[in-house]
Amino acid sequence: MRSRWRWLMAISLAASGAQAQANGWNMPVGVTDVSSDIYGLHMTIFWICVVIGVVVFGAMFYSLFRYRHSKGAKAAHFHEHTSVEVLWTAIPILILVGMAVPATATLKNMYDSSDAELDVMITGQQWRWRYEYLGEDVAFTSNMSTPRTQISGEEARGEHYLLEVDEPLVLPINRKVRFLMTSDDVIHSWWVPDLAVKQDTIPGFINENWVKINEPGIYRGQCAELCGIDHGFMPVVVHAVEEEEFENWLADRKEAAEQEAMGVDREWEMDELVERGESVYQSICSSCHQAEGQGAPPAFPALANNEQLISDVDWHLDKVINGVSGAAMPAFRSTLNPVELAAVVTYSRNAWGNDTGDVVQPSEVAELIAQ
Amino acid sequence: MWSVVKSVLAALLGVQSNQKREEDFSSGKPAAYLVTGVVITLLFVLLLIFLAMFAAR
Repeated sequence: MRSRWRWLMAISLAASGAQAQANGWNMPVGVTDVSSDIYGLHMTIFWICVVIGVVVFGAMFYSLFRYRHSKGAKAAHFHEHTSVEVLWTAIPILILVGMAVPATATLKNMYDSSDAELDVMITGQQWRWRYEYLGEDVAFTSNMSTPRTQISGEEARGEHYLLEVDEPLVLPINRKVRFLMTSDDVIHSWWVPDLAVKQDTIPGFINENWVKINEPGIYRGQCAELCGIDHGFMPVVVHAVEEEEFENWLADRKEAAEQEAMGVDREWEMDELVERGESVYQSICSSCHQAEGQGAPPAFPALANNEQLISDVDWHLDKVINGVSGAAMPAFRSTLNPVELAAVVTYSRNAWGNDTGDVVQPSEVAELIAQ
Repeated sequence: MWSVVKSVLAALLGVQSNQKREEDFSSGKPAAYLVTGVVITLLFVLLLIFLAMFAAR
């Protein structure tokens, strides 16, 4: 009798050991009410499964051992036992309904994006995320900032390798934020485990989701739907801040956007455009056309010493603004503003030996886009 | 009639005693079981719809 209790002890010890290890293996509890609900459901259902497993396999192994052939066990021959059959049908029904009730309540809550205080449009693009604070005139793209030299192994990997961006999505804590999610090209999936949000972004559709973050912090995620060659290089970083800090940040961004809009009308110097264009090129273009404009033919043509590009500025502008249909080159008319477009075109017409001396003004680009 | 309903309910649950099964197969018309089966299935669906509407309120 005592030895049987020792077995139970061993099992429960193993179980608590598993719990201690769970920090590295389990899903995160997260930082929203929904994420901790999901974690609670996951653990509840996990332990229900453990109990069922122990009872079922325990009964099975006990019977196999206790009534083994070598001890002269004789098989009982009977056809049916209605009350046992009813019992083993009713118990799973009760367990399933018992799990479905709290799970459905959580699902209902997850889908209820009403009464949001802030709307953020999230657009997936090959291979970056675009965030637009609806009604606030603030929008930007968020590109991976891990240097290519770390990916190719020329440099040691940083702490947040492949999980760092130039501009994180900044959100206030304690406020219900609704996400409207779509895509410009293929299906992507915006996934941040700590927020318990993993939502496909689908071209032509708008999916909804929402978060209400409880704790300030930096939360990292990735694209979770295979979307092309740089699928692994479009991370998500969410910076959750106190409400006051968020308001200040939003005001700064609005001011910067206004300044940028004013910059469209003025005459830019070539040096300014080249400097600005280089940073745009490195964050947006270099993943395909490479850091030195050498490209990766045949998929991604070289820009350096490209005869057509050098000889025809209108052709060059058209490809950058409108993209190339049927090829990987997207249209950047809505992703980049006129200043960025003019800067990056000016830069690539004057870099890597493309010494055309051409200067494209933001105002010209704005006119082209308006057409 | 009650015997038919009981058999259909037992079929929905998936448990039936051998004695009752033999009774069912020796007496009664197949059509009665089919009609009762369809009616009870519809009632079950309506019950689920009602529960879902109640839960969604």
